[in-house]
Amino acid sequence: MLYIHQHTCISPQQTFNDIQLESLRESVDNKLKAFEPAYEGIPQGILRRMGKAVRMGVGAAIPILKNTPAIDGIIIGTANGGLEDCIKFLNQIIDYEEGLLTPGNFVQSTPNAIAAQLGLMTKNKSYNITHVHRGLAFETALIDAAMMAKENPGKNYLLGAVDEISSYNFNIDYLDGWYKKEPVSNKDLYGSQTPASIAGEGASMFLVNSNPQGASAFVKGIKTIHSQDEEFIIQEFKKFIQSHFPANQKPDILLTGENGDSRLLKYYSAVELILSGTNVLRYKHMCGEYPTTSSFACWLSCRLLEQQQIPGHMNKKIADNLPVKSIVIYNNYKGLQHSLAILSLP
Amino acid sequence: MEKEQLKQQLKKQLVEFLNLTNTKPEDIADDQPLFGDGLGLDSIDSIEMIVLLSREYGITIQDPKEGRKVLVDINTMADYIEKHRTK
Repeated sequence: MLYIHQHTCISPQQTFNDIQLESLRESVDNKLKAFEPAYEGIPQGILRRMGKAVRMGVGAAIPILKNTPAIDGIIIGTANGGLEDCIKFLNQIIDYEEGLLTPGNFVQSTPNAIAAQLGLMTKNKSYNITHVHRGLAFETALIDAAMMAKENPGKNYLLGAVDEISSYNFNIDYLDGWYKKEPVSNKDLYGSQTPASIAGEGASMFLVNSNPQGASAFVKGIKTIHSQDEEFIIQEFKKFIQSHFPANQKPDILLTGENGDSRLLKYYSAVELILSGTNVLRYKHMCGEYPTTSSFACWLSCRLLEQQQIPGHMNKKIADNLPVKSIVIYNNYKGLQHSLAILSLP
Repeated sequence: MEKEQLKQQLKKQLVEFLNLTNTKPEDIADDQPLFGDGLGLDSIDSIEMIVLLSREYGITIQDPKEGRKVLVDINTMADYIEKHRTK
């Protein structure tokens, strides 16, 4: 389907430059904020105007763009883009009674600002698109990249996803019951028996194409489901798993987006039951909950396949030892948007 | 307001409005060019500065030629504000 050749990630953990996944950085006030690097390679004049989402997205993409002069398309998934700047802009309209407005916040506020900024900075006039399907934004971008790579063998695509914690979406989602009311540390996230999760943010970028040579990982399959019908979802899970794994085979790892929300455990338990006997790992204690966390899971999977080392804090159920040859990622956003992806060694 | 006080205020406002994170107000010289090799500002910044003049000093610049004469350095901006401010 699609080969991943390079991957970068800016997240609440130390995942950029000097990568250290064994030690866990702790959440503050139920938020896991990104551990941002110094952003070398972004001119100061451009950097100072960037909102956090754009900064993280561009910052994560720069090492890949430097290593790959010929990019044939930029494909980004984000649910909200630079929402913090968008709200600043909308507030200005009210504060200044629909008078003269400053352009900076407006320029940074649209979801496609990340892909656009990358295109501008690298003078790249090729395919440039942003997918905004909330909890399936990254998956939709990945499907787009896979179709582009299939149609255009030999072409390289920058695929990625970004979302930030903005005070606006945090407050709205908090009031809507998606972030925990009681203080919960990411280190105790899965022990929490209450509804809701903790907030997170980050950006992950990948260089993808249809060439298996030198690849880090192979995206073997992806499935998206938009439904709250539990029985239908479980049947779709089963069909997808059976279509990729014959009865006598199973993946080495199931990596789930379990997020400490007691209301969503039934979905994760169902997938674990379908893949009983498979090692189960979890990742949202590392990145928190946001619409495009599956991109973080994809980055982690590439890393696990390459390094063959699993940080102890990710383990939920370890039945077999390494090596890791195939990983199934299951994520669920607000109990409505579900995705399954299979990554394997190329 | 004294001219010197106005210049200091203007420098603080530029740093804040233009998000000049690596520049302190005291780092900006009164005669340092705002654009090009000086402070390194660009066309988007010039719009931000026109909005700044409107919001903070009640000054509306509609003629681009006039804008080019005003937005040269802190001295030219302060001179213009002194003559044309409405608040």
